[in-house]
Parts: sequence; structure tokens; C-alpha cells
Amino acid sequence: MRQVSKLLVAISFTASMWSNGAVAAPRPATDVTVTDRPNDAGTGLIVKWTLSPDDEESAGANRVVVYQIFRQVNGKPSEEPVAKLNAGNNEYSDSNCQSDAHYQYEVVAVAEDGETSAIATHAERIRPVVQWFDSSRTWVAVIVIFVCAAVIICTELAKHGWSTYVRPIAGLTAIDEAVGRATEMGRPMLFVPGIMDLDEIETVAGLTILSHVGEKAAVYDTPVEVPTARSLVMTAAREALEGAYLAAGRTEGFDEDRVYYVTDEQFGYVAAVCGWMSREKPAACFYLGKFFAESLVLAETGNACGAIQLAGTAESAQLPFFVAACDYTLIGEELFAASAYLSGEPQQLGTLKGQDVGKVLAVVLLVCGSLLATGAMISGRDSLAGRAHDYLMVHVLNKGVGG
Amino acid sequence: MTRELMISWFLLIAGGIGLVVLSATSEKGVGTIYVKPVPAANQVQTWTETQRTDSAAVFSPYRTAGVWLAAFLTLAVFSYLYKDNVFYKLAESMIVGVSAGYYLVANFWDSIVALLMTELTPQLVRNWALPSLSETKTVDPWFLVPLVLSLFLFCRFVPRLSWLARWPLAFVVGTFAGLRLVSILDADFISQIRSTIVPLIVLTNGSFNVWASIRNLGLLLSVVTCLAYFFFSVPHQGLFGKVSRVGVWVLMITFGASFAFTVMGRITLLTRRFEFLFIDWLRLIDP
Amino acid sequence: MRNVVPLVIAFVAGVTMMLALFVPVLQPLQERASVWFIILAAIAFLIGGTNLLLHHARKIAQQEAGWGFSAVTLVSFFITVFVGLAKWGVPPSDAYPNHPWSGNYITEGAPLWWLYQYIIDPVTSTMFALLSFYVASAAYRAFRAKNTEAMILLGTAFIVLLGRCSAGTFLTSWVPESLEALTFPGATAVIMAVFTTAGQRAIMIGISLGVAAISLRIILGLDRSYLGADE
Repeated sequence: MRQVSKLLVAISFTASMWSNGAVAAPRPATDVTVTDRPNDAGTGLIVKWTLSPDDEESAGANRVVVYQIFRQVNGKPSEEPVAKLNAGNNEYSDSNCQSDAHYQYEVVAVAEDGETSAIATHAERIRPVVQWFDSSRTWVAVIVIFVCAAVIICTELAKHGWSTYVRPIAGLTAIDEAVGRATEMGRPMLFVPGIMDLDEIETVAGLTILSHVGEKAAVYDTPVEVPTARSLVMTAAREALEGAYLAAGRTEGFDEDRVYYVTDEQFGYVAAVCGWMSREKPAACFYLGKFFAESLVLAETGNACGAIQLAGTAESAQLPFFVAACDYTLIGEELFAASAYLSGEPQQLGTLKGQDVGKVLAVVLLVCGSLLATGAMISGRDSLAGRAHDYLMVHVLNKGVGG
Repeated sequence: MTRELMISWFLLIAGGIGLVVLSATSEKGVGTIYVKPVPAANQVQTWTETQRTDSAAVFSPYRTAGVWLAAFLTLAVFSYLYKDNVFYKLAESMIVGVSAGYYLVANFWDSIVALLMTELTPQLVRNWALPSLSETKTVDPWFLVPLVLSLFLFCRFVPRLSWLARWPLAFVVGTFAGLRLVSILDADFISQIRSTIVPLIVLTNGSFNVWASIRNLGLLLSVVTCLAYFFFSVPHQGLFGKVSRVGVWVLMITFGASFAFTVMGRITLLTRRFEFLFIDWLRLIDP
Repeated sequence: MRNVVPLVIAFVAGVTMMLALFVPVLQPLQERASVWFIILAAIAFLIGGTNLLLHHARKIAQQEAGWGFSAVTLVSFFITVFVGLAKWGVPPSDAYPNHPWSGNYITEGAPLWWLYQYIIDPVTSTMFALLSFYVASAAYRAFRAKNTEAMILLGTAFIVLLGRCSAGTFLTSWVPESLEALTFPGATAVIMAVFTTAGQRAIMIGISLGVAAISLRIILGLDRSYLGADE
């Protein structure tokens, strides 16, 4: 049907050309090839062609302005083009394919006056191929496996008696001091597990520290107030705190109502927490999780109450405020190390060693990479150092790939 | 009556008198909002804010009351800087109630209706709230999974079944642990290393560029010393201790610069609230 | 025992998501997992909302200190929920005038819009604005600390603040161009280009390793405190 309509169009235009002395149709594109798009689930094909000879200024009225791409799926043609590309483009990436279908593409050049060229197509129908591994991410996989292996091996070695020395982290050794202070003063403690939801690893890190703080608080019967800004976090915090009280053998001391939901709204939550702090005057405040601008409001309010404050976040924009306003701050990675550190279990401490192996890898890559970059600068890009540097940057560290 | 209470009453009364006088004498009107009709295809009249001088302007008591309430709440929150008081508590209780209600509404329409019900009951949603939904949309039974997991959360209220509430928590935490593990190593670990690899000897037009070389060397050494600070397995003593100390200083410089950048932004927030009070409410300043 | 199934769920979900970033066939699962989480969090809100109601209702019932404010919270909450869920005052969308529920719940002029515009927005903006005061008090306290780290932090903040405004440029305008790094703007540029960049990168590298380690602990079941006690 489409072929017939094109024929009728061609006849009518030819007739008008004879009467007006107008021009012929543009010449078609050539060398149409279709290849499977790599690193996908069989959903993509790449169509390429050589531009029509009329795809240039000198073609005059015959000049191609757009290429229309038609597609046949299992022999069934499309009525409308699946894509229209401006002149000068010689590639189309079709992302709407299925791995169990066969495709044929036709490229038609269209001139300014609507004249269409003959159809250019490729020899055989093609079927997209499913790749089971994204090879563009090979080196990412290598690095992930290296880091994970380092963590797991160090964990296993720690289980079998390897040294689990971990340097003291000031903020974490102060938890006992904070709980003791609250107990002596007869005032509650405040624990804020961040303002984001359970999909953030910082929130999970905060909750694991909550269970440690809760266990100590349970022993001394010091109340811990945990207002949350997300319902899921409230549920998880109740589980964590109840488990802590159970571990301390003080189940009867657990008060579920001290872990409550306030509101999702960032500053509405802060308004409520600051109001509570002004009225109840906690002796110790813990801010451990993901924070944004409200970090300083909380920390300064805690200061005004005279509370001892421990903060930890991976948000580097908020760390300066916590460092300036709190007594102890867990900087970035220390927040994630805290749960392993507080547990004291060899297995968990072993994971910290694995993190250190990762840092050694980072330093090695940095130093070697910089030396190679220096060599490339001195000897040129075509030297051994230059080529090694390019390989490192483009392939290993994914500079050239959209990773 | 304490001095503090006397001053508070004085400020309230003086402020009230000032507002009355300003309202009576101001040509621009204190906190008055005008609206004009918006032409709509659906025949339902809607309004949008406009200037008092607009020919189609009509006084809106509804929005004017809103501006006065907003001004009161703004001042109530500012009063917290002095100390906690009844006005701040009122503002706090209102924001908690209204914002919690707002998020419930937003979650219902944007998540439960638009994401869940469109997958489980597309025709119902199309006829009711989302007529733009495609007629050919079919039921996706996989979306029963989040529904069932959500219902498990409610089992926490049934003592015999409370253990089921852990299943959705494990699903969420496990899922995002897996996602974040790889994505953060790619986005932060690899890309930050890549950005930090720089030549230690920089040649510009064939000649040695001293400052650029020193800068690059400083960058590399600063990163390495900061990473040394984060080392857990080695005691920070002796030479390593000195190196990690330098790392701490680099971190303090980082935090100081970040602090300074943020200060200027925070002042802007304050000026915006003053603009609301003095321009939008009291009309003391021409915008 | 009751944590065995959740630990298996966490392991399977975690490993699947890790693989999804490398196996193209599994890649759509990432987006699906994110959508499922949004749905889960939205339905979980009912638990939070119920908790909010019970928390404040108990205060009112027991006439605890400040119970009047709890009443304000509850009234505000119910009014907001009612006008929002009922789409009160929300006209149908222009494209579908015959569908009364097709309008956007936050359409200008509707009661929910009014609540957002004149209660939520001013209160949250003003709380945000309080930061300008708190920044000053935090800087003052840090300066009083008198240890090396605090002095470096405040000194850098001082240099960068001046370096970004015209006063700083004016104060060191007499310094020759060859020593530009000694002017406030010049020193700011060096601080940002070298030390701040280095510090940010080191923090991010450390965080990425920390996140990787804790994620692995969660997937392998070493860290399970979010699940509570294993009864």
C-alpha cells in the first residue's frame, strides 16, 4: 500500500515537473548496513548508510533535507517512518527492538519540495543479539570484584585470628561518655538517623549505630528519643532499638512511642525536633545519617541546650557545619566504619581492613597514573608512557565510555 | 509581671498599632492580594495573582488572609531565635500537621494512583483520575509484589505476625545496598581517581610550567595525605601520623572553603524572607 | 531464626542489583526496583500517618503539657488530607473537562495550594533563613576553640569569603601580579583548585569504599541490626 502511494506521488510530481519544467527526485543513500548494538539486551540495532550525493548545497532544489527510516518487523512494514533524521546524519540507533524478531530497514532521502528518493535497503534481515555481559564495564567489574574480594578475604582472615587493630575514632569512643552524661543528668538522649529514607546507605549506617547506642542506653535506663522523617525509617528504627533492648536484657525498658514519625517535610521535621530539644533539653545528641541544610540548625540548637553532640554524615557539604558545631564528627567513611568498630566483632573489623586495601589501590592508581601522565607529557602521546596512560584513562578508568 | 513579659507585651501592642496605622494610611494596601480570571477551556473559573493596577484585578480576601497568616508564621519562626515561645509552638504544630497531610496527599496521587493503580487497575484509573492513560495499557501483575510487601509492614501491629514486617525492610535495604555498591564505586571511586591523575611536570608550549607543576603535585599529595588520615589499620604515629596530620589540615581547609561558600548563600535566604515581609506584606518598599 | 528469610531476601536482592549493572537483560530491574520502593514508601506512609495521629491523640487524651498544640497538629492534618484527597476546589484539567478528577491536586487557587503557599512555604523558608544566624554563631564558637584545626578552618573561611567579594580584591590590589597567589582572590583560587578539590576527592573516595564495605556487610548478612533481634 505504501509502495503504491509512493508511486502515485511520484507520477503526479513527474507530471507537474513536465508542466513546470521542475526537477527529478533526489538520489538515494547507499551502502545501508545494519549491525547489532553492543552491550544491550537485544533491544538495539544500529543503521548506517552513505549519504546521498544530493546531500550537499550544490544539489540545488534536489538537496536532501531529511532521511526517513522505515522498518519491517518480521516482514511486516511500518506505515509511517520510525525516525526522521536531518540531512548530514548517516546513523540511526533503534532502541525499540526485540531479540526474537527480524528487522529490515529502508532509508529514503527527502528533498525540500517533498520529492523522495528510491528506497535504499540492506541485503538480509537482521535479528538483535542479547549480550549477557556489558563489556564496556569490564574494568568496573574488575575493580568491584577486587574491592569486594579484599573485604571478604580480610573478613575471613580476621575470623581466623588475623590482627584486627583499628585506630581509635574519637567520636565513637565518646558514645559511652555521652550516654554516661545523660544518665548522670537524668536527661534524655536524642538520636536523629538523618532525614532521608531507607534507600540511603547512610540511613542504614545510622540505624546500625542506633542499635549500639540503644544497647548502652538500655543498660543505664536512659531514654532515647528517635524522631524520624520517614515512615520506613521509623519502622526500621523500632526494630533496631527493640533488638538492642532485647540484647541488653532490658526488654521491659523499651518504649515504642519514643520512636515516632514527624513529617516528611525537611524543615517541618527540623522545626519539630528543635522545639522538642528546646523543651526537653537532651544531654546528648546524635546526628548520624544523611543530612542537608538542616544540619546546622540541629547542631546549633543542640549547642544552645548544652548537649554533647556526635555527628556523622557522608554529605561533604554538611561536614563543615558539623565539624564547627559538634563536639565529635565522623567524617565520611568513618560513619560507615562505625557499626563495624562498635560491634568489636573480628569479622566486621576485618571489613575495615578491606576498605584500607581499597585505599591502597586508589593510591597506587593515582601515583602510577600521574607518573604515566608525566611520561606522556614529556615523551608524547605515542610513547609507551603515553599509550599506557591512554589505556588507563580510557579503558580502566572509563574516561572514554559513558560509565 | 517580669521585665521580659512587659517587653513582649509592649512589642506586641506597638506592632499591632503600627499595623493598624499602616493599613489605614497605606495607598498600596498592606498585605492585600488582587487576582484576575484565567480563561479556561473547561468553563471552570480560575484565578491568578495580579497587580492592583491591572484593569481586571479583583480583591481576593482568600489570598489576602493567606499572606497575613504567612507573615504571622514567619515572625513566629523568627521569634525562636530569642527563645521557644507559644507562637513558635503554634507555627511548629501547624507545619507538622499540614506538611504531613500534604505528603500523604502527594504520595497518594503521585505514587499509589500514578504508579501502583495504573499498573494493577489501569481502566479504573483511566476512567477516574488519569484520562491521559493509554487505552491499551494492560495489567502488570508484578506490581502485586510491592503491594504485598507493603501489607507485610502492617503485620508489625499483629504480635504473632510482627516478624513478617522485616521482609520488606530486608528487600529495600538489600536492593539499595546492591545498587549503591557498584554505582558508587563507578561514580565516586573510579571517576575521582581518574580526575586526580595529572602530570607532575607540566610543559606549556614546550617549556616547563612551574606553577602548574607545583599545583598538580600539591593536588596529588593532598589527596594521598587525606586518604592516609582515613586509614584504619595503621596507628597514626610516627611518620604515618605526621602524614595523616597533614591530611587533617587539608580536610580543614576543604571544610573552611565550603563553609565560606555556604555563608553567602544563607544570607540570601534571609534577604528573601525580609523581601516577603517588607515588600509582599507591609508594602514598605517598592519592588 | 526469624531473620533467616529476610537475610536471604537481602542477599538475593543485593546480588541481583549488583549483577543488573553488568548484565543488560537485568538492567530494567534497577528502574523497577526504584519504582517498587516509591510505592512501598508511599503505602508505608499510612503507618507513619497513623503513628502521628496516635502520638498526638494520646497527648490530648492524657492532657499532657502542650496538648493544645497536638490538637492544632491533628486539625491541620485532617483538613489538609481532606482537601487534598478530595481534590476540593480543583477544576478538571483543560484537556479533559469531562473528568472532574483529572486536575492536578496542587492547582493554583485550590485549598491545598493555599495551605502549601501560605503555611508550608513560609515556615520552611523561614526555618531555612535561620541558618544565616546559626552560621554566624557556629563560626564564632569555632573561632573560640583555639586549636590548630579550628584556626585552619576559620582562617580558610575568612580568606575565601574575602576572596569572593570586592572588599577582598580591594584590600590586596597593591600586590604585584607576579605574586597573585598572595592576594585574596588569588589565594582563594589556589585553595579551591588544590586543597578543596583534593579534600573533596579524598572524602568521596573514602565514602565510596565505606559504602561498598557496609553494603557488602548487609548483603552477606554480617550487619543485620536493621532487622532487630533474631528471636
